[in-house]
This record gives sequence, structure tokens and C-alpha cells, in this order.
Amino acid sequence: MTTTALPAARAATRAAAPPWYVAAALVAATSAKVGVIWDISWHRSIGRDTFWTPAHLAIYLGGVLAGLACGWLVLRTTFAGDREDRAATVGFWGFRGPLGAWVCIWGALAMISSAPFDNWWHNAYGLDVKVLSPPHVVLALGIWAIQLGALFLVLSLQNRRSPDETSRVDSVLAAYTIAILLQNVSTIGIEQIGFANLAHNAIYYQVAAGGVPLLLVAAGRGIRLRWPATTAAVCYMAFSLVMIWVLQLAPATPKLAPVFNPVTHLIPPPFPLVLIVPALAIDLAMQRVGRKHDWLLSLLLGVAFLGSFAVVQWFFAEFLLGPHARNYFFGMDQWDYSSRLGPWRYSFWRAQSNPVTPSALAIAALIAVASARIGLWWGNWMARLRR
Amino acid sequence: MKVLGALIALVAFAHVGSPDTYFEGAAGPYPVRVIVRSPGVVPGLAQITVRLLSPQGARRVLVLPVYSDPRTAAPPPPDVAQRVPGDSTLYSAALWLMTRGSYGVQVTVEGAAGSGTALVPVMAVATSRLALDKPLGAVLLALGVFLFAGAVTLIGAAVRESGLEPGAAPDPRRTLRARVAMGVAAVVLALALLGGRAWWNRVDAAYRTGLYQPLHATTTVRTAGGARVLRLAIDDTSWADPKRQSTPLVPDHGHLMHLFLVGDSTLDPFAHLHPLPLDSITFETDLPPLRPGRYRVYADIVHENGFAQTLVSSVDVPSAGGAWRPSDPDDAWSEGFEGSGDVRRLADGSTMTWDRGHTPIVVDQEAPLRFTVTDPAGRPAALEPFMGMAGHLMLTRDDGAVFVHLHPAGTVSLAAAETFALRELGDTVRGRLSARMTAIEKGSGERGAVPAGAILMPASRSLSFPYAFPKPGHYRLWVQVKRAGRILTGTFDAQVREPTTGR
Repeated sequence: MTTTALPAARAATRAAAPPWYVAAALVAATSAKVGVIWDISWHRSIGRDTFWTPAHLAIYLGGVLAGLACGWLVLRTTFAGDREDRAATVGFWGFRGPLGAWVCIWGALAMISSAPFDNWWHNAYGLDVKVLSPPHVVLALGIWAIQLGALFLVLSLQNRRSPDETSRVDSVLAAYTIAILLQNVSTIGIEQIGFANLAHNAIYYQVAAGGVPLLLVAAGRGIRLRWPATTAAVCYMAFSLVMIWVLQLAPATPKLAPVFNPVTHLIPPPFPLVLIVPALAIDLAMQRVGRKHDWLLSLLLGVAFLGSFAVVQWFFAEFLLGPHARNYFFGMDQWDYSSRLGPWRYSFWRAQSNPVTPSALAIAALIAVASARIGLWWGNWMARLRR
Repeated sequence: MKVLGALIALVAFAHVGSPDTYFEGAAGPYPVRVIVRSPGVVPGLAQITVRLLSPQGARRVLVLPVYSDPRTAAPPPPDVAQRVPGDSTLYSAALWLMTRGSYGVQVTVEGAAGSGTALVPVMAVATSRLALDKPLGAVLLALGVFLFAGAVTLIGAAVRESGLEPGAAPDPRRTLRARVAMGVAAVVLALALLGGRAWWNRVDAAYRTGLYQPLHATTTVRTAGGARVLRLAIDDTSWADPKRQSTPLVPDHGHLMHLFLVGDSTLDPFAHLHPLPLDSITFETDLPPLRPGRYRVYADIVHENGFAQTLVSSVDVPSAGGAWRPSDPDDAWSEGFEGSGDVRRLADGSTMTWDRGHTPIVVDQEAPLRFTVTDPAGRPAALEPFMGMAGHLMLTRDDGAVFVHLHPAGTVSLAAAETFALRELGDTVRGRLSARMTAIEKGSGERGAVPAGAILMPASRSLSFPYAFPKPGHYRLWVQVKRAGRILTGTFDAQVREPTTGR
């Protein structure tokens, strides 16, 4: 029994291993995301940087790797590919390649374009007076494109898989890529949903309702796993935790005045949103309702997401602000070098000025339903993606 | 565009049209010359170079910019300046100037003779807006067009082919849908680009309104009792309104204001005056017997936070009336010059010589501003401190785009350096430091006294000013010294060249 099962398992593993260009795109997407989180930590802990910080290199490695791998794939498929190679591709100005590869190439070019633009911007208007600037938006679009490209590549593999193939590696990788996109939501929304101190104000729930259901629901519809949204949520939380645990190990000294908080190591990102619970709710709802009633399903998904998310975050945030979370595991109570430390660290911000009222929750629920509906549309498209 | 060019030319701080800082002084036992090249933007990276002027070897050179706000907590550790390859006495580093205002840059030299620190005041202001040059603009435009067309093509490909089974060809319906999607995508992306452009324009407009401009001043001359009285009013809304007034003024070499008049057409008539304050806005002084005409007015002031600036104005001076009674014993004026070449005959019969050598003066390269004064008998003249300094040098380009007031210590204001040296944690209250500085000056018994060790009578009889001209063109220089109680002015002309390209 054992002797016959082993070669079969090996064969399945071989078949499941993603092609080299998919692996490259996934490494690129990961590298860019690690770089972004590292860079934010760098700015919160050290303050000054050059182009050559490891965080920046990780970001640009993502661009270069995805661009070169997918560029080579396109050239090879166009000029040296056989009919089978070219079958699962889309045309682009006479060249052939998978849609995901084209999106990665576009992202790499956008990232490369942002570099001279950003350099000029610094020389003209000063060093990053604001994080959100036109060249940074071009860079962010490039990074997202690489991550989306990686997602499209694994989805097309998943969707071309024959029904009798048992390996689910490509689907798990798709869930992982959705987790990277969830990380993007955390990064962009760091001022609204990043810190546990924000979890008792209305904007927190409205922003989360806008960004999160779209991705979890799209995963639920487009990824062929029994628990796709939950898998994506687990990957999202694991990604955050690894970053929290690793970054804290790196020594760092603030190098920009004024230094109000003399930190000694890199400040980790905030503890992730506990998305496992709302993701479970989404998976359960999608398993029960099926594919026939998407409008009704979005209503259910939006309400299920918001209800479970709000209950979990409301109380878990109280734990995170308490003394038991101020340790290496949770990484809480670690603040920027430029912060003047005070009792605000342990209080809920804007809880009075922007309270969580029934009407605020109703708005959040509407946003969540809309987000879920878009997620279903996108998920349906993802489920059809073959090339 | 022309208007903008003029705006940029006019902006100035602590001098006009000369944004870099030059300093020569002592870091403990080590004489140093420090140059800080302004980045022109804030936040920005200023380049600092430190030249050791003595043969004593240094182990290392540290630089640390400290912001003027005393509430600022502990500064970050200083940066180690790197030795410039091929030059054993030159060190260089980048200064991170993150906030607009004044910084005291601590330059510390460590070596065999111990450790010493010099304090160099540096103003961080946005003075220029970099234009997008054509090659870079063309590259960015090309990349932008490529990304735009690429994104529209991608959307078309996604709709047309990405959902098809491998090998299948798109039917006409899919192709049509792809075309519609591309059209919609093009419109949406174009709108996004327009939004981006509006955003960029907003950032640009906000940046331009934040460009530094000196406080606005208006100068008038009236005749009173036969004398001509010049009045300068700092009538800027940010100064005249006491609630918005940033920080009070502090005396520099014993005077709250150093005012310079330069004849607008010939540059010949020149005066260095010290108007007295009637209140915090209005300053007055009696005019020396300058010929009537239009004059450029430059007024140097230093704020309590160490921010030094030059106010720029102009005034029509009517014809002379009665005799001149100087409002201040340090007031001086001159008209034209006697002498030829690099030698000038001064008012008391002594001679001032500019030891400029034969090398041309080039933009951004250290200028040979060395002068010697000899008495009528041809011996080196004994000079006295003039407002705490061995000498003062004023220079201007003929069109007024540059005006600088220099000392042997460089372009820095000593009062600004004092504000950093004397600052205490309790000086968050406005006016406290300025009151203490004024008391110290009064207590010292001598007007224009500066802290011990800060001056600057040269060991040799020659005067030297560290400086590099910022722009090419024709310049007029006035060198002022004091001998036997008399203020003497030597006037010179200089032609400054563009650097030749390439090495």
C-alpha cells in the first residue's frame, strides 16, 4: 500500500508545483509587500532613508523579478512557443502571454516609471512631505498590478486544472495572493483601521466594510477550496504575524529630529484584523446559499461580515490595548520615534467625536453589502479566468 | 513663467540670491571652514563640507543639525562626515533639514588635540521650484502614454480572451464587448489622469505659496529740520499683527537692524546705517549726504529663533538738506572710489589692496576675497574691531539679484549663532531669550560685543572672507574696516564667470 502510494503522491506533487514564472510572480508579489511593510516600519523607527534601504530594495526586487520573468515568458511564448504554449494566452500588440503576465509587466513598468518621477518630485517639492503623492500612487499601482498579475496567473492554473486532479496547491496560492491584497487594505487604511485604538469609532467599521468583504467574497467565489475566504484570512493573519515577529528583532536607532521616543528596534506593524471569524461566516453563507441568488447573497454576506467583524474587533481591541498584549507575541504598545508617549496609547481614539451609532453601523452595513456584491462579480470573473 | 522666474530671483533669506552658508571659525582647537549648500526645498538634504584649516589631524568629523525650537527633545545621534577622496582635509555629509526655520548645525572635530565644536546657523527655507526639464518630461510622458495604452489594451484582452478555453478564438460578440470595455476604460483612465493633474497642480500651487519671501518692508524719506530722515516700516501682515508676530528681533553686532543703501543706477553711492526702532515695526535713521536718486534698500534682521533675513525695498532720496548728524556712530557711507586696479585709496590716506591674484572668479568656487590695509607710510595698518568684526564686506550684483553681507566668519549671522549658544529649555516663552541677549550686550559695556572667542581679529594684517559667488555677472564690493576710530570703505568691482563645463 505504502510502496504504491508514494510514487503517486510524488507525481501529484510534481504536477502541483507551479511553473517557474508563476513562482517568480508570487515571490515578486511577496517581496513587494514585505518591502512596503518594512519601509513603513523603517520610517516609524529610523525616519530617514535613501533609495538603497533593504525595504526599498525588496519593493523594487518585486518589480524587477516580475517584469523580467513575465517579459521572458512573453518573448519565449511569442517567438519560440508551440501551439500548446500559445493556446492559454491573450494577445497584446502582436505578442502572446497569459493575462497575469501582462498585468505583471505593466506593474513593473509602472514601478520603474515612478522612480525618476519620485526623484524629481523630492527635488522639486521636498522629501515626502506627504506619503500620498502622485509618484507614490504610480508606484502603488505598479505594486498592486504585480500582485494582481500573480493572482491571475495562479487562478488561470486553477481553472485549467482537470476535475480529477487532487492537488489544491494553486488554489491555496490564490488564497495567499488574496491575503497579500488584504494586506494592501491594511496598509492603505492604516490611519482608519490599522490601530486597535481606532476600533471604537464609526469610520473604522465603514472603511473595513468597504475594503475587506470585496476580497474575501471574491476569494469565496473564485477559489476552488472548501474554505477559501477562511484560508485567505489565515494567510493574511500569518503574514502580519511573521512581519511583527521578525521586524521586532532588528535593532534600529532614530536618525531624524525630533526624537521623542528613543526606540531601539524596528516598530512592528499593528496586530492584524482578526479576519478569520468573518471569513468563516462568509464561507458558511456562500456554502449555504449557492450561486443562484447573488443579490440576496450579497445582502447576507454584507450583514454577516459586519456583524461578526464588529463583535470580534470591538472586544479584541480592548484586549490589545490591555497589559497582556504588550509583549513580543502581540507586538502592541510600540510607537513611532516621533511620538510623545502619553495615556492616549491605551485609549480609544475618536470614540467620542465619531461614535459607533446604529446609523453609522447601518451605513457600514450598506457599504459591506455593496462591497460583497462587487466581490461576487469579480469572483465570478475570476472563476472563468482560463488564460 | 517669467513672473515665476522673477519671484524665484527675489526670494532670499539672510542674504539676497545667495542661499548657501559659508562659515570660518574654530571648532575648539581646530580652525575649520564650513560650507552648507542649500537644497532649496524643505524637507530636503543640504550638503555640508568641512575643511580642516590646520595641519592637526582629525580622527573624525561629526555634524548635527539642531532645530531652533527648544521644545524639541533629544536630537538624533550626529552623522559622521566622510572624508572626500583625494583630499585629506575635506569632509562631507548630508544634513536632513526637515522643518522650515533656523537650525544650529553643530560641527564637531575629534582628534589628537581633543574635541571641539563650532556652531553654524543655517536657515532652512524653500527658495526654488525645480522645473521639469524637457528630456525627463519627455521620458515621463512616453512612459505615461505607454502605461495608459497598455492598461486599455489589457482590459480589452481580459474581456476578449481571458475567459476562453485555451485555443478557442473569440467570437464577434466578445470582440465587441472588449471594444466597449476598452472605450469605457479609456474614459475612466483619462478622468483619473485629469484628477491626477489637478492634484499635481494643487500641490504645486501650495508649494509656490510656501516659497520663502522676506517680510515686506516699505521705505520712505522725509525732510525734517533740514535733515533727511529715512523710515523703514516692516509692514508685512505677519509682522504688524502682534498675534501673528513670530519671534522678536535680537541685536546683531549691537544693532537690531543693519540697513544698506545702494544707488540703483550707478552703484556708486553706498551707505551702511543702523536705524533705531521707534516701535517693533518702524525704524528710522538720518541719511548721510548721499546724492539724490533712487536707491535699493537691504535691511538685515535676526529673529530670536535664530532666523536671519534680509528685507528688500527701494526708496527715492530727495536732494540733500542740512548737515548730517549720524544717528549711530557705526553709520558710514561712501561715493565712488579713488585708485586703480586692485588698489584703493581710503578716506584717511591709507590704502586697501585686494589680493585677488590672476585667476578668474568663478561661480560656486571659493573666491579670493583677501584684502590688506596699509597706512600712508606703506606699513601694515593696525585695524580696530568694527562692530565686533575685523571687517565687513558687502557685495551686490549690478542688477540687485544678489546682495550679501559678509564677515571673516562668513555669511552667518553671529547673533543667530548666539541664539543657539545661549538657548535654554525655558526659552519657550517668546521674548525671553531676546531680553537675555540684549542684557548680555548691555552688561558687556561695549556695543556690538560678542562672546569671548567669537572674534575675529586676524593674526595677519590681511582680511579674508570665505565665500563663493552664486551667479555670474558684474559685482560691486564694499569692504569696511575701522582704523584710528574712523570707518573706512574700499570699493571694488569684480567680474564673475560661469564655470567651464567638463573637467
